[in-house]
Amino acid sequence: MQYGMIIDIDRCVGCHACVIACKAEWEVPAQFNRNWVHRLGPSLTSTGMASTYYPGLCNHCKTPSCVPVCPAEPVSFTFKDAKSGKTVTMEVAATWKDPFNGTVQVDRERCIGCGACRDACPYNARYVDEGLKDDNSLGKVDKCTYCMPRVAEGLEPACVQTCLARARIFGDLDDPKSAVAQYVKKGAVGLTSKAVQIGPNGKYFGSKKGDMELLMQAAPQEMPKVSLRRSLLSKMSLTAKNQIKEIGLLGLAGGLLIKSLQDEEK
Amino acid sequence: MNLTRRNFLKAASIAAASVPLSKVAAKAESGVVKAPLVAPGTFKNTQTAVGGVCEMCFWRCQLVGKIRDGRLIKLEGNPKSIDNGVSLCARGNAGVKLLYDPDRLKYPLKNVGKRGAPKWQRISWEEALDTCGSKLKAIVDQHGAKGIAMFPHGSTATYPMGFLENTVGTHNVSEASFFQCRGIRDTAYIATIGLPPNEDVDMANAKVMFFLGNHLGENVHVSHLKRYLKGLENGAKLVVVDPRYSAAAAKSHIWVQIRPGTDTAFLLAIMNYLIQNKKYNAEFVQKHGEGFDKMAEGIKGWTLEKAAQECDVPAAQIKEVAELLAANMPNVSIHPGRHVSWYGNDFQRQRALACLTGLLGAFGVKGGFVQPKGPKGLAKVGWPKGEHKEESLREMADVHHYSPPGTPTDLIRDTAITGKPYPIKGCVIWGQNPIQTIPNQEKTIKMLEQMDFVMCVDVMPTDITMYADILLPDTSYLERYDMIKTGTQWDFATEHKQYIAPRMPLVAPGFERKESIWITNEIAKRMGYGDKIPVQSQEEAINKMLAGAELSIDKIKAEDGIHIQPGKDPYGEMELTVLFHNQEVEDNGYPGIPTYIPVERAPEGYCRLLYGRSPVHTFNRSQNNAWLMAENDDSPVWINDKLAAKLGLKEGDKIALVNQDGVKSRTTTKVKVTPGIRQDCVYMYHGFGSMNPELTIGVGKGIDDQSLITKLAVDPETGAHGMRNNFVKLVKVS
Repeated sequence: MQYGMIIDIDRCVGCHACVIACKAEWEVPAQFNRNWVHRLGPSLTSTGMASTYYPGLCNHCKTPSCVPVCPAEPVSFTFKDAKSGKTVTMEVAATWKDPFNGTVQVDRERCIGCGACRDACPYNARYVDEGLKDDNSLGKVDKCTYCMPRVAEGLEPACVQTCLARARIFGDLDDPKSAVAQYVKKGAVGLTSKAVQIGPNGKYFGSKKGDMELLMQAAPQEMPKVSLRRSLLSKMSLTAKNQIKEIGLLGLAGGLLIKSLQDEEK
Repeated sequence: MNLTRRNFLKAASIAAASVPLSKVAAKAESGVVKAPLVAPGTFKNTQTAVGGVCEMCFWRCQLVGKIRDGRLIKLEGNPKSIDNGVSLCARGNAGVKLLYDPDRLKYPLKNVGKRGAPKWQRISWEEALDTCGSKLKAIVDQHGAKGIAMFPHGSTATYPMGFLENTVGTHNVSEASFFQCRGIRDTAYIATIGLPPNEDVDMANAKVMFFLGNHLGENVHVSHLKRYLKGLENGAKLVVVDPRYSAAAAKSHIWVQIRPGTDTAFLLAIMNYLIQNKKYNAEFVQKHGEGFDKMAEGIKGWTLEKAAQECDVPAAQIKEVAELLAANMPNVSIHPGRHVSWYGNDFQRQRALACLTGLLGAFGVKGGFVQPKGPKGLAKVGWPKGEHKEESLREMADVHHYSPPGTPTDLIRDTAITGKPYPIKGCVIWGQNPIQTIPNQEKTIKMLEQMDFVMCVDVMPTDITMYADILLPDTSYLERYDMIKTGTQWDFATEHKQYIAPRMPLVAPGFERKESIWITNEIAKRMGYGDKIPVQSQEEAINKMLAGAELSIDKIKAEDGIHIQPGKDPYGEMELTVLFHNQEVEDNGYPGIPTYIPVERAPEGYCRLLYGRSPVHTFNRSQNNAWLMAENDDSPVWINDKLAAKLGLKEGDKIALVNQDGVKSRTTTKVKVTPGIRQDCVYMYHGFGSMNPELTIGVGKGIDDQSLITKLAVDPETGAHGMRNNFVKLVKVS
């Protein structure tokens, strides 16, 4: 199973309701966004004048660049398939890709607010709320969850529910009968470019060539430089961290270190 | 955003420490319960309050509220709604931020400073009402009821307007929704087909949709957009006539990039082409038309070529539009528009739209002009009409014979400023912001300055509330009963249903905010009209109205906020006559057939200032909403790319605007460079650039377009303002 979101830009009227419904549902601070709507154009395209919208959100990518860079202490976590009841236990940092539903999620409790995942996302789909910093973190990261807690209750994601245009379609891309899979068959595509190929599961459909041209121009054209280096570094540190875990007292030392870093910031 | 080595080390070290420390820290803390790091969502462990009716704009979508610990946390479309359904627009979703806006008016206030530069002192309701009552009574005693002017807006103002107009007896009431917006449309259609059109076009089932300047998508009304999108989904062809590549133009099949102000010429050429080529609906015209020959004769000079020259569009394109309409008649939606007070020649253009609908026979048919058959029987509640024999300013001057209800704004304003033919010394402003709604702010301020007394009632501070002597805090639409929204299912092709949805409070009013019926009654008592009071509260008023349809608030609450009943088929032959030539209009001294009256073109070096709506704002009303302003807090000026290059302007450049009268914008904004607008005009959102510093988010954001609309145009038939006859220069600010 892989949850995905289709945005039908033929239907989208650019009203921004999706953004505000999400803010209300998840108490996203006014200055931050889990999703967004950008107006594109009017510009001249190969087929003449065009203007459309880029309603964006986390793409819950196939190979998410945000997940491997997380330096937070990994913990063992057991995932359960909602349908079959099957379980898988994995070591995950504070952000991971769910092995069953394919969504990318965050554990804010364990997030240290370093911003590594935010910086690694070519779609700018994450933000760090520094207002939530505490003794253990520099803030907390947040992003679209595909409204998994709502979906678990049989509800649609908040942005999908409020959309007057029915321009947002949510479902299982792996199920060939689903509306989202039908859209992919019809030609819905992710916002990828030569350099950015991480398998976005948010996909866009538009029947007008000019609109799609504008949209593909809005796709990120390069991977954030930080991500590769950071991913290497975080892997290196993993070994170090595992060693540290064995020596409980060092945790306290770490705590003192954070405190001194935060004091330094002030 | 690049990671520095130092930052990385910091992050990594925190990571190493995070688990053990969190355990230590949790125990060490002082027992203060922190809010959960993850919001719980609004769908669980909340109460659902039903019966909300939105007023973030005036389309009135039906709502439910999610409430946690007595606090409204989210608004959603009422699942029972057959209008907006579970959907809301951005503004509807953001109502929570209006409700709890810390800048909202909370207490009655007295201005101990000056009008325009107020110093507020909190006073008791008793003192506020005594002041309003005695000041207004003194004005009525000295100058008569006509000495009071009122500027109302919204359903909260309906009741006090009834009091002042019917019972006290002043004609000097000017509603922005009529005189600066849609009044022209309504009276022009009444003068043509005998009915106001609202926006009653069956777009969902149309083969062609025809929009004149209508920017659906930027103008967002949920069920209206659902009709529009359904039409597109069903394969309707969309024609958009607009100098700008609007949100609607971006979805169009034909975009007519017309020269601003020439729309009527375009319509006349289409009608003439249809008539000359016998491509109109002769059967309908024969049966329902009057004065057809006169119109045909009168517009025969409007060849495609003549219109092409006037409108600056290819003749072939006008022909293409005409042929498309002819091929698909009568199933065409000729959209009557909404905000139509553009150029001061607007009554004629609106008549032309109604006549074009008639030529195509597009009344009562699928896809055409179709009036929904809504529920009947609601009782009326209101102030009794007194014996008032005095003529209105309009009647005295014998002008504007097709004025919407009330008195044209400039007749009131000029009378107040000159004192002729009589003084106007009291001003009641209820829900309207005349600084932002009425062109020529200098005149509006002059009018206010000469008043003996100015009172404002509003939810938020606005630019006009700065001019109040007494400022009263109204309840918001989420805290009161106040009107009943009725209608039908949005798509006429589906099962016919009707609904009745009274606005009911989702939460109790905070601070000392009071509902308008109570405020009005208390003032009425103090003015000596206590015996005329029709109802004591909004709740009583709604119950009385509902009783007419054998309903009550309790019954509707039990029905989850919306009463739904079987409906009627809205299709079928309409009993109407299309007056292609209107003798009465002619007898009153105006053209009897739709006539094009040219407007001044942009002088050298200037561009016509066009304005429209931001999809996330309702004029100026939403300009302090934290969520909406986070989406859109500026009014960038659209300028043609070639013109921008000539002027040396680049995307994002900071600019001020100066108009033809030398009036400079108070604030600045950015340039949006695009090929999607003509070179003879620029475009920006209306409603920005608030000057009231009490709007801590909205003040000074973007440019106030109305501040630049100083040259007045008044539509002669209606007395409504035309607001697109001003010209601006862009001045780069470094």
